[in-house]
Formats: sequence, C-alpha cells, structure tokens
Amino acid sequence: MPDLIFDDVSITYRTSGRNSRGDVAAVKHVSLELPAGGTLGVAGESGSGKSTLAMSVLRLLPRNATLKGSVRIGETDVSDLSFGELRAVRWAEASIIFQGAMHSLNPVHTVGRQILEALELHVTDRWRTEKARKDRVKELMEVVDLPAEKAESYPHELSGGQKQRIMIAMALACEPDIIVADEPTTALDVIVQKQILDMINDLVQEGGISLMMISHDLSVLATACQRIAVMKDGELVEVGDAHQICLDPHQPYTRQLASAFPVIGDPASRMNPISRRERPARPPVDQRHQMTDEVLLEAHGLNVTYRSGRKAVHAVKDVDLTIRSGEILALVGQSGSGKSTLARTVLGLQPADDGSAIQFRGQDLPHRGRALRDFRGQVQMVLQDPSAALNPKLSVYELVAEGLRIQHFDGDEEQRVVESLTEAELIPAGDYLGAIPQELSGGQRQRVVIAGALAIHPEVLVADEPVASLDASVRGEILALLLSLRERLGLSALVITHDLGLAWNIADTVAVMYRGRIVEHGPTEQVLLHPQHEYTRTLLAAAPSIRDQEVA
Amino acid sequence: MTATTPTPVIQAGSARTMAWRRRSAAAKDFWREFRQYPSGMTGLVVLAVIIILALLAPVLAPTRMLDLTQLLDSPRYAPPSWSHLFGTDDQGRELWVRMLWGSRVSLVVGFAATAMSMIIGTIIGIAAGHFTGWVGGLLMRIVDFFLVLPSLILAIVLSSVLSRGVMTIVIAIGLTSWAGTARVVRSQTLSVESRDYVERARVLGAGHWHIIIKHLLPAVMPLVLANTTLTVGSAIIAESTLSFLGLGDPSKQSWGTILKNSMDLSAATSGYWWYVLIPGLAILLVVLSFTLVGRVVETIVNPTLRSR
Amino acid sequence: MSTAVASTVTVGETDEPPRSVPAIKYFLSKLGGSAISMVMVILLGFFAFKLLPGDPVALMARERPMSAEQMDQLRAQLGLSKPMIVQFWDYLVNVFTLNFGNSYVYKQSVASLIGQYFWNTILLTGTSAVIAIALGLWLGQRSAWKHGSWFDRISSGIALVFWSVPTFWLALLLLMVFGGSLQWFPTGGMMSPSPPTGTLDKVLDVASHMVLPVITMVAVVYAQYLMVMRASLIEEMGEDYLTTARAKGLREDKVRTRHAVPNALLPTVTLVFMHIGGLIAGAVTVETVFSWPGLGKLTYDAISGPDLPLLQGTFVVFSAIIIVTNLMADLVYRLLDPRVRTA
Repeated sequence: MPDLIFDDVSITYRTSGRNSRGDVAAVKHVSLELPAGGTLGVAGESGSGKSTLAMSVLRLLPRNATLKGSVRIGETDVSDLSFGELRAVRWAEASIIFQGAMHSLNPVHTVGRQILEALELHVTDRWRTEKARKDRVKELMEVVDLPAEKAESYPHELSGGQKQRIMIAMALACEPDIIVADEPTTALDVIVQKQILDMINDLVQEGGISLMMISHDLSVLATACQRIAVMKDGELVEVGDAHQICLDPHQPYTRQLASAFPVIGDPASRMNPISRRERPARPPVDQRHQMTDEVLLEAHGLNVTYRSGRKAVHAVKDVDLTIRSGEILALVGQSGSGKSTLARTVLGLQPADDGSAIQFRGQDLPHRGRALRDFRGQVQMVLQDPSAALNPKLSVYELVAEGLRIQHFDGDEEQRVVESLTEAELIPAGDYLGAIPQELSGGQRQRVVIAGALAIHPEVLVADEPVASLDASVRGEILALLLSLRERLGLSALVITHDLGLAWNIADTVAVMYRGRIVEHGPTEQVLLHPQHEYTRTLLAAAPSIRDQEVA
Repeated sequence: MTATTPTPVIQAGSARTMAWRRRSAAAKDFWREFRQYPSGMTGLVVLAVIIILALLAPVLAPTRMLDLTQLLDSPRYAPPSWSHLFGTDDQGRELWVRMLWGSRVSLVVGFAATAMSMIIGTIIGIAAGHFTGWVGGLLMRIVDFFLVLPSLILAIVLSSVLSRGVMTIVIAIGLTSWAGTARVVRSQTLSVESRDYVERARVLGAGHWHIIIKHLLPAVMPLVLANTTLTVGSAIIAESTLSFLGLGDPSKQSWGTILKNSMDLSAATSGYWWYVLIPGLAILLVVLSFTLVGRVVETIVNPTLRSR
Repeated sequence: MSTAVASTVTVGETDEPPRSVPAIKYFLSKLGGSAISMVMVILLGFFAFKLLPGDPVALMARERPMSAEQMDQLRAQLGLSKPMIVQFWDYLVNVFTLNFGNSYVYKQSVASLIGQYFWNTILLTGTSAVIAIALGLWLGQRSAWKHGSWFDRISSGIALVFWSVPTFWLALLLLMVFGGSLQWFPTGGMMSPSPPTGTLDKVLDVASHMVLPVITMVAVVYAQYLMVMRASLIEEMGEDYLTTARAKGLREDKVRTRHAVPNALLPTVTLVFMHIGGLIAGAVTVETVFSWPGLGKLTYDAISGPDLPLLQGTFVVFSAIIIVTNLMADLVYRLLDPRVRTA
C-alpha cells in the first residue's frame, strides 16, 4: 500500500487572455501526506486551489498548468511517468470520485458501459474475460446498493444520489489503493449526502483504501476524515487532527470556516451568527424590534400545481402559514420539498390553485396591474445567487434605484439609494454607487440585492437560500445583517433554507416542509431541540456536524 | 473571482453621466480588444476602402462612362491592360466602372436587407423568448418554420411576384433571412429570462415593457451586432444570386447583374475570363471581410466562443 | 449505513427516473410538427402568389406580347376571375391531388414536369449532401481537437473563403476552367447526347456529368458543417466527463472518438439538417449553370418565363423536401441522444 505525498507542490496556470498575460498561482508550496489507509480532508472556499491539488494526483491538470515540486504515489513521482505508465497508474492505483451529480458521466453511454470501460482498460486476472467483467459490474452495483439493472440506465435516467453511487462504483472498479473524492456530496440533499458519506466511509474502512476528500464544507470532512488541511488562496493555512481543526482551530480563518456550521442547541450561536466584520452596535435590548402578534402575510389551504413538461406537479399541499410583523420564519426542507414554490406563490410569482387563500394584511393577494405593483412594494425577495440576481451591465446605483423607478417613487431617489446601501451596511455608500457587480465580492453583491429590496421600504423580506451560494466565511455576515434589519427596522422575513443551522442562527420560528406539506411548525427551540415529526428527526440526524468528531 | 476595489466615488447626481461614461469606456475596451485581431482589422480596412470607393463612384467614374451612345468606338471584350484596367464588356463598357457602380447597389442592398432582417429578427426573437404560453409557442413555431424553409427559394418567389427593383430585392431578402437572428436572439432571451435578475425585476414590480427594454434588449444587442456583420455578407451573396437569376433591377448595375450578363454571353466558355473572375472576386472579398469582422465581434461579445 | 437512514431512502431520492417515451409517440409528435409546417408552406404558396400586388397575368405577359383575348383566356384558365375563397378551395384540392396546373413555358402539366425532374435533383443534392457532411464533420472534429494548430488554421481559413463564395460563381469558375482549357469532365447536362448502352457505362456517364456540379455544391456547403462541428466539439472539450475518461486511463484519441465526438454530434445534427435548405438553394444556380435537368433548372426557367404555376409547384416541392429531411433529422437525433428517448 503506497502513501500519497505532496512535496512542496506549486501549480501555476498560464493564462492566455488577450489583454492580460501572466501566470496565476493556484497552489503555492503545499506539502501534505496521506499515509496508506489514512483519510485526509482538504477544506477551502472556491479559488483556494483544492481541486487543482486533487487533479495533480493523476496529472489531470490542463495543458496550461505547470507543476513544481513532486506528487508521489509510494516511490513513484507522478510527473516522471511516461504517458503510457501514467495511463496504467490512472484508476488502477488511484481513482477519483468526481462530483457525479454534475457532468462527470458521459450522457450518451449507459453507466454500466462506463464502468466496464475502466475494467477493460485495466484488465487483471479477476476480470480477464468479458463475462467476468460483466459480473464485476454486477458486483459493484451491489456494493453501492443499486439494483443490477440500473447499469443499463443512461445518466439522465438516474437521480443525483444514484449518479453519485455510480461514480463510487466506478472509482472502486479496479480496486485502487487511493481514492480522491472531489466534492462528492455537493448538490446533494442532506439525507442523500449522509448516505453517500456513510457509504464512502464504510468502503474505505473495509477495503483499507486511503481517502483524500476535497470539500468546501468542513462539516462533511469532519464526518469522514481523520486529518484535515485548510487551504486559502493556494496556500495551506492549517493542517491537523480533524478534532482540533473543527473544535479548536488555531488560525482565525479556520475559525470562520468552522463557525459557518453552528451546533444546534449551542446557546452561544442562537440568534447570533458569527461574523468577521466589525458590526455596528446592536440597539439596546429594550429598543430592539421583536416578533409581534400582528399578522402580515397569511396563507390558508394553499395548494399549488404547476405543469412541468406534460405532467402536473402538485408541489404545495394544503399549507397554512402566517408571518407576523417582526418575525423571522425559517422554512426548512430538502430540494423538491416545494419550499421554493411556496415562496414564489406568496410573492404572487406563481399562481395558486383555486380554493387557496393568500392574504396580506387581510387583503387578498392581487394578481395584476397596479394593485400587484403596490403589493410588491410591501413584500420583497432576496434570491439565492447574488451574481445572477444583479444585471451585470448596471451600476450599483441603477440596481438599487431600479425598484424605485418601477414603483414610481417621487421622493429624492439619490438620497433613498444612499440610505438603503447604508442600511445594508455598504459603508460609505458613495464608494459603491459607480461600481458594477463584477467589481464586488459575493457578500457585497448580496448586500446590493438586499439594499435594492430595502429601498422600497417593504414590510416582509422573502429570502430564498440567501447564503447557499456564498463562501462559508461570508455566510455569518449576511445572516447577521438579516437579523440586524429586524432589530433595527422591524422587518419580517421568510427565509427558505435547507440548512438547519441557519434557522438556529436567526429564526424565531421554523416550519419544516416535506413533500409539499408542512409537517412541523413552531418556535425554533421547540422544533429543533424537541422534534415531533419523524422527518424532522431524520433531517436533524442527517445534517453533518463538526461535533461528530467528539463521538467518533 | 477576485474583488477589485470599487471605482472611486463618482459624485452622486450624475447617474446618467455615469451610465454614459461607462458605455463609452465599454466601447473603448471593445475597440482595444478588436484591434488585437489581425483578421478583423484586415476585414475592416478592406471594407472601409470599398465603401469609400463606392461613395466616390460619381466622382471617379461619371455616369457618362456607362452611356452606350458614347462608347461606340471603345473596344469590345478587351482583356485587362493598362488602358482597360479590368477589361471591357460586350458593349465596350469598362468593367471597373461597372464594378464601381455595382458596388453601390450590392452594398446598399446588403445593408438595407440586413437592417430589415435584424429588426424583424430581434423583435420576434425577444417576443418568442419572453412571452410564455401560446404567443411564445406560436412565434417559436414560425421561427422554426422560416429557419428550415430555403430562404433563397422564398426570396425568388417574392421577387418574381413583386415588381422588379432594388426595393423588391431588399424586401425579399429582408423578409426571408431574419429567422437565424431570431433563433439566436430567442435563445439568448431565454437564457437571460431564466437569470435571477429578471425575476428580481419582476419582484420589484416590473412589467413586460420594463423587462424587455431594461434587461432583455441590452443583453441581446451585442449578439445582434455580431449577427448583423455576418448577415450583411450573406445578404450580399443573396443579392448577387437573385440578380444572377434575372430577378434584379435591370436598370441598375450590380455585381450579380454583371455576372448574369457574363453567363448570358457564355463568357465562361468563350475565354472572357475577366468578365467572370473579377465580379466574383469582388463579392468574395467583401463577403469575406464582413465575415472576418463579424467573427471577431462575435468572439469579443460572446466569450464562450473565445477558443474559436 | 444506519437503519434509521436506510428506512428513509425514498425520502432522499424523490425524483422518479423519467419514463421513456415510446418511439411511436415521438414519431407521431414530430410528424404532427412537420404536417403543420407543410400546411404553412401550402398557405404561403397560395397567398404569396395571390395576395401580393400586381396582376399575375400582366406579369406573365411582361416579357412577351399577348393579346387581350389571350390574357382573358389565361385568367380563366388560372381561375383568377373566381372569388378568393373559391380560388383557395380549388388550390387546396389541386395541391392534394398534386395538380399545379399547366406550365406556361413547357406547355405541360407542372406535376409531370416535376415528376420527371425530381429524382435528378435528389441524386445531385443527395450525393453532395453526403460528401459535404462527411468531409465537413471529419475536418471539423480534427480542427477542433487541435484548435489553434496549423491544420486548424488552414482548414478553417479555406472553409471561410468557400463560405464567402457565391455558389453560382464557383460553378462559373469551374465551367470556365474545365469547359474552356481542360476538358476533363463534361460541363453540361446529365448524360452525353448519345448515351452509351450498357448499364455500367450509363452509370459512369451520369457520374462524370455529376462531377463538376457536385464539387461546386460540396465546396460551398461543407464549410458550414465544418464550422458547426468544430464549434460544437470545442464546446464539448471542456466537459467534465472527458476528465473522467482521461482519469480512467483512456488514450487521448479514444477520449475523442468514444466520448467527445458522439456528444458533439448532437447539436451538429440539428444544424446540419437545418442547413440542407442552403444546399437546396444552391441547386437552383448550380443546375442552371451546368444545365442539370432538375428542379433548380425548372425554377430558373419558371423565373425567366415568368411561369407562375411552375414556380408555385417547385416552391411547394422544394419546401416539402426540406420538411421531410428535417423529419428524418429528428428521427436520427433520437437514435443518437438517449435523453430524447425520455421526456
């Protein structure tokens, strides 16, 4: 069993843009070691160089990349191999579990054929004949808990979790010594994520395979790895025992990453998301706006059916929901649970079925014309991905003023824009007015989106996964802002999320949605600490936590 | 993606100046990038020269040089030489004079038909992408229909039925060549439409008009621009083909008409090679230039094609 | 795996695998689309000729002297004195019985003329299409895989030049070279004036007549296919599944032929068939220059007549050919892309 050793590895990309020529250093002087049979996690945000490092194991870097230092599998230096030798090493000695939910499987071949291909390329005594190889595929399907006939499927016929299982089966096919898992559970639901992680853990332990796992999610690594390395901007920030990295990080950056995964039940993080920014002082407790009893938005017997292709999807079933003034309500569920459809419906973006009632301050939700526009002045939305939610061609000023112009605001537009940017904590606002979105960071962009909504002085903010597309270290900032808007302005919010920790961080109440129905609804502490419904319990159990290390 | 420091404070109160300044900066960037491509620059220079020559036609070659009554003594079918630069035709007219005047018709038809085709294509493309339900479905069906229909055949039908003239050719080409643009615009519209900033505008209370003017149109314009340059080339080919088939304006010179004459006189098999070669080379040169410029514009505005 | 989680496997994987659409249903829906297109062609074939300004008979009389009596007779023959709705009905009946009236130039029924010439055009355009597609796709994928190389630059450059050439001019040029100086191939017609007797000799005779028209059409059309294939493969080259294939230890040329090309073909097929219209349009001028007895030549004769019934007939038939090829394209697409088989 060979060790995997990164010895002072630096990787630079030669960029060939017509305007800018130059080298971009993706990985800088990284030395890491994965002993045979061990497990190593590499954590980092986008752009940290963690995937580049993973690709270097099998020399899969694009042609414009140059590697200095050495990557060794046992005694072999990967960069010394001839192309033929390299091909023999690929997959037979080390294999990769790609992010299968995305595009790592060829859409025009059956998945079985794609597994078979790996076997044909690395024939051993165990699968010398066509028949033996077919049997091996069957065996692998069994290992990853899929029925054998699924091998005949094309990738698009499988769900995300099934595709990820196929990727695992493929990685195991040639009995490698080392497996590199590159974001193996990204884009999967918590519960599926849990299944996949458990499976990888079991297989790695049973087979004594060394595992290097790459993820942006520290909690995922915490459940699977003995050691964790944290990377930032191509450099190694901290390496250590998983337990120490998660619970007692030495570096401030690691601390920020860890704080993105609050422990549910920990009083320190309740109503207190951790932010690295200097925050304006919170108003004194007696002046903070709190949740009141005044009902703003309510839905009764809400059903939503929409057509997707030819079949009708009944996405929301008999939902009752109320949002009170000053309340932060977290609507929690997996993808496909209907939570986004529900949000779109209460905003009037998606028509509800007949017999459903949605009211804002006792008035039925208008469907068109002036009344709808006026309603939009009261209820605003913050979308998941701020890079997509801002027209890249417009300046911050125009973006924030857009709503005012649509609403025919007749006050001092400029003053209102500056005010809103200030409320969204883009200070001093003047510095940002002329910027276009690509000049801003992800967190700043999300603040612009929030400022745009605040400009028209809404009473309710609907936020659909407001931090899901942001880097972990920015997460706390945006959550703190949402909480502070409630405390300072009394703004109510409906926050749609898959992340129970987020609810613990900022929500007064939690509604759990499962298959179109709200299965549990109540104050946050009650729902998260004393869950009544089976599904809520499953969800809580599946969420990876950095505390798992304590148990392990 | 690294966040650079935002541009320095631009004193508020100048939202419009700000937008204008950004646009002019974008235009400058575009030009700076365009200059990096030798192929595009070559095309641009060739086009500039040809357009200037076409504009100067009345000065360089007064109309009397085409007047048959004044050409009774000039030689027929004279091959190119110093005294007859491009040779002469069956009626003793200098080919270079005919070419010069022909360039005006070819270019005017190319530009006018393209303008027409772009306007129709953009409007239908945006509408087909933006409106859902039966309106969008119907428009999409129509676009697909015109896309597969041989536009030249339809243009032939239109120009045979309408009275002969430059305007007819423009209409025939314009009405039949918009589908490609509509397709590109529609798919771009759909992709913009699915982006969150359109949803955000809708949540802010925006109606169709605001979304189309503020978000969709600016997003499709660069593609339309690239398409325009490419379409001028094919419109010029279409014009020459229609003229070659005898559907052009008989009273006007155009490169296609000259080739039509040469074909009627069997110039190709009778050894009057210049009569065939020169007009065709001119078309090739102009169309190639438009294509080169168009491809560079396309590469710049659509970075996903950068590797082409 | 803990039992608690295992019991909720269905919770995680709520998305049911999509069910496959039966071939017959797919075929019928595509057939329906084609039928709608055909109806639109038929409508266009009527209204373009009937509703546009100008008296068609006066138009037809433009180029030749006709007495008022003859013109009235022609009007009656074309049914122009009847009310529009009756004309439309007559037209529909005629189209469905393949009766387009009589050609004014050929003094023969349009249907029988088209019947005689139809297969000649199919032979010419079909051969050209096959060669152009094969050549374009092959060069396109080679260019893309090594984009930026000398091979790529030269083949793309040549393609761009051919793309910018008017078809008929290239035909004239070939005519000039081979009809004037070199007499390698016949330059007109489909058969020698006194065709040879043996079957094989006949085939060779026709084939030699086809050489120049086919070269012309291939040269003008292959460039588009090359560009489409090249762009589509370049786009495919960044895809993750190619990294998977490489990671498995596949040789580079197998990565291309087994994984990249089959995927790049998908968008290409659609566009290739969409450009068949361009090939058909090319047939009009190529057949004219080389006097190939096909529908294109008929169209040219109809224009110079002008012979409106003949033009109407060729328009409808040309459009029908294109609609049928596109229907075939949809079926081919279903074979190539498993994703279309499910909805």
